Amino acid sequence: MSDPKERIPVQNILVQQARTSQGDELSGPANAARFWRTFRRHRLGLVGLVIVGTMVLAAVGAPYLAPADPLAQDILRARLQPPSAAHPLGTDELGRDLLSRLIYGARISLTIGLLAEGTALLIGSVIGALAGFLGGRVDDLLMRITEIFMAIPSLLFLIAVVAILEPNVVTIALALGVIGWPSEARVMRSQVLAVKNLEYVTAAHALGLRPYQVLLRHILPNALSPMIVVGTLGIAGAILTEATLSFLGLGIQQPIPSWGTMVYTGQNYIFTAWWYAVFPGLAIMLTVLGFNFVGDALRDALDPNRVTQRT
Amino acid sequence: MTRYVIRRLLLAIPTLLGVFTIIFILAYLMPGDPVRAVMGESYRRADPATIERVRERLGLNDPWFVQYGRFLGRLVRGDLGTSYVLDQPVAEVISYRFPRTLQLMAGAMVAALLIGLPAGILAAERQYTWVDHTLMFFALVGVAMPVFWQGILAKMFLTQDTYGIALFPVAGYGDGALIYMVLPSLVLGTHLSATIARITRSSMLEVKPQPYMVTAVAKGLHRWRVVLVHQLKNALIPVVTVVGLDVGYLLGGSVVTETIFNWPGLGRAVVTAINRRDTPVILGTLVFGALIFVTVNLVVDLVYALINPRIRYE
Repeated sequence: MSDPKERIPVQNILVQQARTSQGDELSGPANAARFWRTFRRHRLGLVGLVIVGTMVLAAVGAPYLAPADPLAQDILRARLQPPSAAHPLGTDELGRDLLSRLIYGARISLTIGLLAEGTALLIGSVIGALAGFLGGRVDDLLMRITEIFMAIPSLLFLIAVVAILEPNVVTIALALGVIGWPSEARVMRSQVLAVKNLEYVTAAHALGLRPYQVLLRHILPNALSPMIVVGTLGIAGAILTEATLSFLGLGIQQPIPSWGTMVYTGQNYIFTAWWYAVFPGLAIMLTVLGFNFVGDALRDALDPNRVTQRT
Repeated sequence: MTRYVIRRLLLAIPTLLGVFTIIFILAYLMPGDPVRAVMGESYRRADPATIERVRERLGLNDPWFVQYGRFLGRLVRGDLGTSYVLDQPVAEVISYRFPRTLQLMAGAMVAALLIGLPAGILAAERQYTWVDHTLMFFALVGVAMPVFWQGILAKMFLTQDTYGIALFPVAGYGDGALIYMVLPSLVLGTHLSATIARITRSSMLEVKPQPYMVTAVAKGLHRWRVVLVHQLKNALIPVVTVVGLDVGYLLGGSVVTETIFNWPGLGRAVVTAINRRDTPVILGTLVFGALIFVTVNLVVDLVYALINPRIRYE
């Protein structure tokens, strides 16, 4: 009796075979061109790319792009000013320029998104790869642990963590990574399972390679594409969760310009200064949409066997 | 089926044990001296010897594994500790607060199904037309829109005349009046309704080319009868799964929605507890949240097995 978890539909194996026989699909100019051709056809993917690009640009070039100092207050003259030429997105209750705070806020969101997802990918990849590669009892144990982490509501977990540790960019990002790895582990495991019994892996074993060499050189490259997709979507999730935590007033603290924190303070003025809560919220939504679009487009473009759908 | 149910129930035990262990670690790391919480006002006047005696009596000097065992024992008996601030057992706080949260979650789910299912069916029926594109655009936005931002926009435009129209009360429970529930339910349910719309659409499209669909059409049944009975019934399985999986999201979202709309549920209790450093309430809610999540997943799996007999015989 074979383990039901290891039974993979035949067409999946064929797909994997076709894919692996083409070699690493990310390398080589022909593949790069094909990748870009498919990606370009995904219109929402392009929109996402523009959004993410803008955000990265804002984060990196903040000191040059921001019209004002994000922390500079001007309570007497510029308190809660509506959008104008001087302040394109208006000002907050301390007279700070909202556009500048939004631009600097991109740094916070992007840092948290990358750090959190990096952590999740690291933990998830190791656990998923080991579970899939070693199988048997180890697999059972690791998958049980994965289920445990899936069962803990992430927002409540984060709330408990910020009760213990001081909430800042690093602690929040790491906590997000520590609670967020199960989906990464599952994808990695399924990818390893999909190829570990194929002929070329058996051949690698037969050639006398050590197990870790087989895993690192011959199995893991196969998982690269799906992990990139999961990672992109994970960044969006992490950004959204941080914003939610900050919106509850439990995340990044003032005066640091986190988008979620800005909405949190802005909600006190929703009937007097609409711009305060609206623009940071819009930034969060666009960023999440952007990363989701890019993730979806990557899913299509990185899979040579998927017929590209028009969207 | 019975064997399947029993197996699934047994599998939930190690998961819960693991969850409780992680929560115990969090509890162990939580700042604040429990002795102070238990003694209240008298803590300040008490001499070190008395404090030490209380500490000993509470078992705080025991090794961690003894404390761990006691922690699990209390959880099994349903004892979640006593709130530092409210001077009330956490279990009582939860049993008073949670029905309100459940009410909100149910409202959200109803709203999500009422919006999501018709939207998904319509989009599938009109695939690649402007109807489909418009609906799916809104579904995309609905998935990406942060709950808190949506709540604030809803408040801004639908509760006051300044920027919108005053259709709904700004916030509060209103002694259970239905009108107070509408806006929070819609806000909390948006994400789920967008997800349901997307899944329903793709699932309907997957069912469409099946032979039994051709048969139904060939029999000369009315188009909408084919769509709503033959197609929808078979397309619902993935929808059920998604609704189940999204309960975790609803739990998290209820924390936000309750805070925005001042809804007296469990979520708002947690946020208040954080600000007051009321550790037992935070941890108790965490335990409770995980318990619900595991239970819901179990129920979803069982429902799934009921709809699709092949799963039972895995």
